Amino acid sequence: MTPILSLRVVQRLEVGHRCDFYTNSRLFRRRKLGALAMINRPFLLAVVAVCLIQSTSPGAEALRDTIHRHVDEAWKKNNVTPAPLTSDSEFVRRVYLDLLGVIPSYEEAVAFLDDAGSDKREKLVETLLADPRFGVHQSDVWDMVYFGRNPPGYGTNKRDGFKNWLRDQFNQNISYKKWAGDILRAEGNTVEQGVPMFFVQYKNAHEDATQAITQQFLGVQLQCARCHDHPFDKWSQLDFYGMAAFVARLQVVDVGKKKLTTFAIGEKNLGDVLFTGPASQQEVGQKGEPVKPKFLGGELLVEPELPKDVKDPRNFPSGKMPPKPKFSRKDQLAKWITSSNNPYFARAVANRIWGQFMGKGIVDPVDNLSGDNPASHPELLEAMTKSLVEHDFDLKWLIQEIVNSKPYQLASLGTVEDTNPGWFERARFRPLSAEELLESWVLATGYDDVLEASGKKPKSRFDVGAPWVYMKKYFGSPNDGVGNFQGGMHEHFYLNNGEIHQLISEGKGGLFEVLSKSEKPWEKRVEQLYLSVLSRHPNPKETKHFAEHLRAEGDLRNRLKEAIWALMTCSEFRFNH
Amino acid sequence: MKTLCTPLEHVNRRLLLKGALTTAAGGALMNWGGLFNSDAMAKEVKKQGKHCILIWLQGGCSQFETFDMKVGRPTGGPFREISTNVAGARVCELMPGIAQKMDKLTVIRSMRTSQVDHGGGTYSMHTGWTRTPAVRFPEIGAIVAKYCGDVESNLPSFIKIGSGGGGAGLLGPQYDSFALDRDGGLPRNSASRFPAEQELRRHRLRNFVENQFAQDRSAEPIRVHQEAYDRARRLNNVRDRFELDAEWAKSRNNYGNSKIGRRMMTAARLVEAGVAFVEVRHTDYDFHGDNFEGHKALVPPMEHAWAALLEDLEARGLLDDTLVVWMGEIGRTPKINNRCGRDHYVRSWSTALAGGGVKGGLVYGESDKDGVDVKENKVTEGDLFATIYTALGVDPKTENFAGVRPIPLAQFGHRVVKDILI
Repeated sequence: MTPILSLRVVQRLEVGHRCDFYTNSRLFRRRKLGALAMINRPFLLAVVAVCLIQSTSPGAEALRDTIHRHVDEAWKKNNVTPAPLTSDSEFVRRVYLDLLGVIPSYEEAVAFLDDAGSDKREKLVETLLADPRFGVHQSDVWDMVYFGRNPPGYGTNKRDGFKNWLRDQFNQNISYKKWAGDILRAEGNTVEQGVPMFFVQYKNAHEDATQAITQQFLGVQLQCARCHDHPFDKWSQLDFYGMAAFVARLQVVDVGKKKLTTFAIGEKNLGDVLFTGPASQQEVGQKGEPVKPKFLGGELLVEPELPKDVKDPRNFPSGKMPPKPKFSRKDQLAKWITSSNNPYFARAVANRIWGQFMGKGIVDPVDNLSGDNPASHPELLEAMTKSLVEHDFDLKWLIQEIVNSKPYQLASLGTVEDTNPGWFERARFRPLSAEELLESWVLATGYDDVLEASGKKPKSRFDVGAPWVYMKKYFGSPNDGVGNFQGGMHEHFYLNNGEIHQLISEGKGGLFEVLSKSEKPWEKRVEQLYLSVLSRHPNPKETKHFAEHLRAEGDLRNRLKEAIWALMTCSEFRFNH
Repeated sequence: MKTLCTPLEHVNRRLLLKGALTTAAGGALMNWGGLFNSDAMAKEVKKQGKHCILIWLQGGCSQFETFDMKVGRPTGGPFREISTNVAGARVCELMPGIAQKMDKLTVIRSMRTSQVDHGGGTYSMHTGWTRTPAVRFPEIGAIVAKYCGDVESNLPSFIKIGSGGGGAGLLGPQYDSFALDRDGGLPRNSASRFPAEQELRRHRLRNFVENQFAQDRSAEPIRVHQEAYDRARRLNNVRDRFELDAEWAKSRNNYGNSKIGRRMMTAARLVEAGVAFVEVRHTDYDFHGDNFEGHKALVPPMEHAWAALLEDLEARGLLDDTLVVWMGEIGRTPKINNRCGRDHYVRSWSTALAGGGVKGGLVYGESDKDGVDVKENKVTEGDLFATIYTALGVDPKTENFAGVRPIPLAQFGHRVVKDILI
């Protein structure tokens, strides 16, 4: 008799503010480090490959131009006037934040602004994509896709393994097709390989896992179909449970030795999902029919006949790696999802990457590619999807094309009020994440140098003491349910009166010390201040206003701190624009 | 019977046009729903000057030692019943103050809720929903802040005294709770760390910077960021609203010289000052052992302060517009365990409402003779929250969005308990 794995909804506790992760990337952030020296070999190969592709088909249009063409057509068709091309200073800040998750240092900003080359933007993008910080930041971004701010416990608050692994995928430019499949295959353990952590968060909650997989990997939202047939999409409850059947045999196994919490994902040979009909008609003790695994919108999985004597332990014993099943349903799922022929997979990731850099997806929200949620630029999405498949899911290449396109490089000026303008006619406004804010503040104020000069060498990215403690609480999720920025009062208590003031330190090597010790005229020092914090030159009015503020009689110490503070907390700093 | 305003009636033409344009520009059909959920929308919902005070009994107060006594039954416990100022209605002898306020109260003795543990119960009795991973449901306080709060006020719209956590969920941090400390004082980092002159100086400098950036940019986040900054700063103008030592000296005798008394007085003063929602927490009722001794210690100061609160609100003309909700996350078992305790129970228990929008002197629903099950007029958490929103003039079917998914304020399938509404 086939044992039955009954699925049930398990209440999950939200655990707040515990996702601390460390990556040994602090060095990468050092402002003195020349990023150019770090171009890695796979990247060079990729560049060569792209050049080859382009040179072998001289008539083919580069994707960045395709992007511009389609977006421009939509502007014309809808009588929309786009903002002008953005200034070099807005661009340098924008692209540093989007690619590396931190503002440029004073030196980096000046170097770019002073460069007279006509192709300097393209060159900068190339440099930043080869910077190791690229992978660190992209892993921050994707970690939020998979786990969100408050994962449900089970050790998911410590997921350095997963994050470091993600970082390497980006820095080594592994094909998305490969690494997305690795997440779903979940081989190895959560400490050394990292990947199994994705499933650990859905311990005993296979339905939640199903929902997350279709939403995050395929852009298909099935949550409605969990309890009843989807009201305005084609999905039925059986579609949902057909997908759930692929993951229903998974079990989280504790394979840790001694104190180190380590998990692996085991898969049983037997066990089926039971379907009992609409949730509203359920009765206590109802049995239900087993559901066979069926690919979403596709075929039933063909499964080999298992030997009669196959048995599973009730629970995989802890302390050792669970054995592989005779036939793995989850591997079949991974293969189907990441196949180039999968109708959703490539489209979903192309759209998601576009949304990450352009503020909103061509289909928005990016994880709902339902037929009822039309694309704003359908042809563009198709073109991007096709090219991405042709480039073997090379996300770095896709990102390079997007940030080199004209629509990405528009100014944030104009009368349009939307955070993310519908036709991409102006740069979007994106609140910086807690991580981006802190790293950027630390860089701007030279707080790293202050700590180092005082002998406290930070052990990890956010090992700066009190200033980080409340960051995730106040800046962790600044958006409402539909992506609008909604900063609250508590954010400003932090900015006005909180630990941020510790960063404006008078210690050796910090911005405060550099500016107060300098003997240059205040106008020059204001320039340095603006370049350090806002990555741009002040305009004459700003120079005058700030110089007057700082030159006034008395209390220079506080006046200088106020000047630094004002630039660190203003909207221009709070958002990437 | 008062008719409710549906949000739709208050959408003016300009808003509709703006919504339509946004939709056209966004090119996303799903966005039409967003119109009914936008910030502008909330501003358009008629403000009726309604307030709500939630007296939160953390741990789960016993219905048998308050409003649903089973004298003489095996489940009854040692306390006696006393009569109230409403003929026929009787309450526990631990509540002499409330007995004289029974004419203001609607007691629901037929609660049937779903979450039997503290975590799940606290969540569902704050949001009206069962916790699910996909949707972050907003707390009642955030909802009342959004629909009844005054955006122009210097004060926060959603204040918690003696508790933190929870939050605005999908409504966004703008409606998050503002937590006072256990004695009702302001959080430490809300105060400027600088002398007034310096505070003004840095404020002016920051404004200069902000204006430079905003002069040729109209993006909404700049405005939202600046508004939140202003609200945080404006709180400094009303710090005296939270300095209630002098008030306390005058009110102490009425409220009883207790911490819960002081919190309730603070709630009354904040409501008077215009705050839409205040939660006052009293802890800890989780008496798995020594239930009777425990209730004997906790109920009297709480009920005394509660009666004083109703008295105070009435004297100041605030009771008609202020709904006072009295509840915890769970009820307690009819069976008395071998440690003289009562365990968690949600099949049949009691909550109470008073003031704005609800009838007084009413006992709604009934439990069976031993208090094991609801005998008639079952009220679920969905029903209770829908009824509370209705009493506050907010349509419980109003939708907000989690991604593309429309989420009504009160759970699907709820029933507004019209019998207890004015």
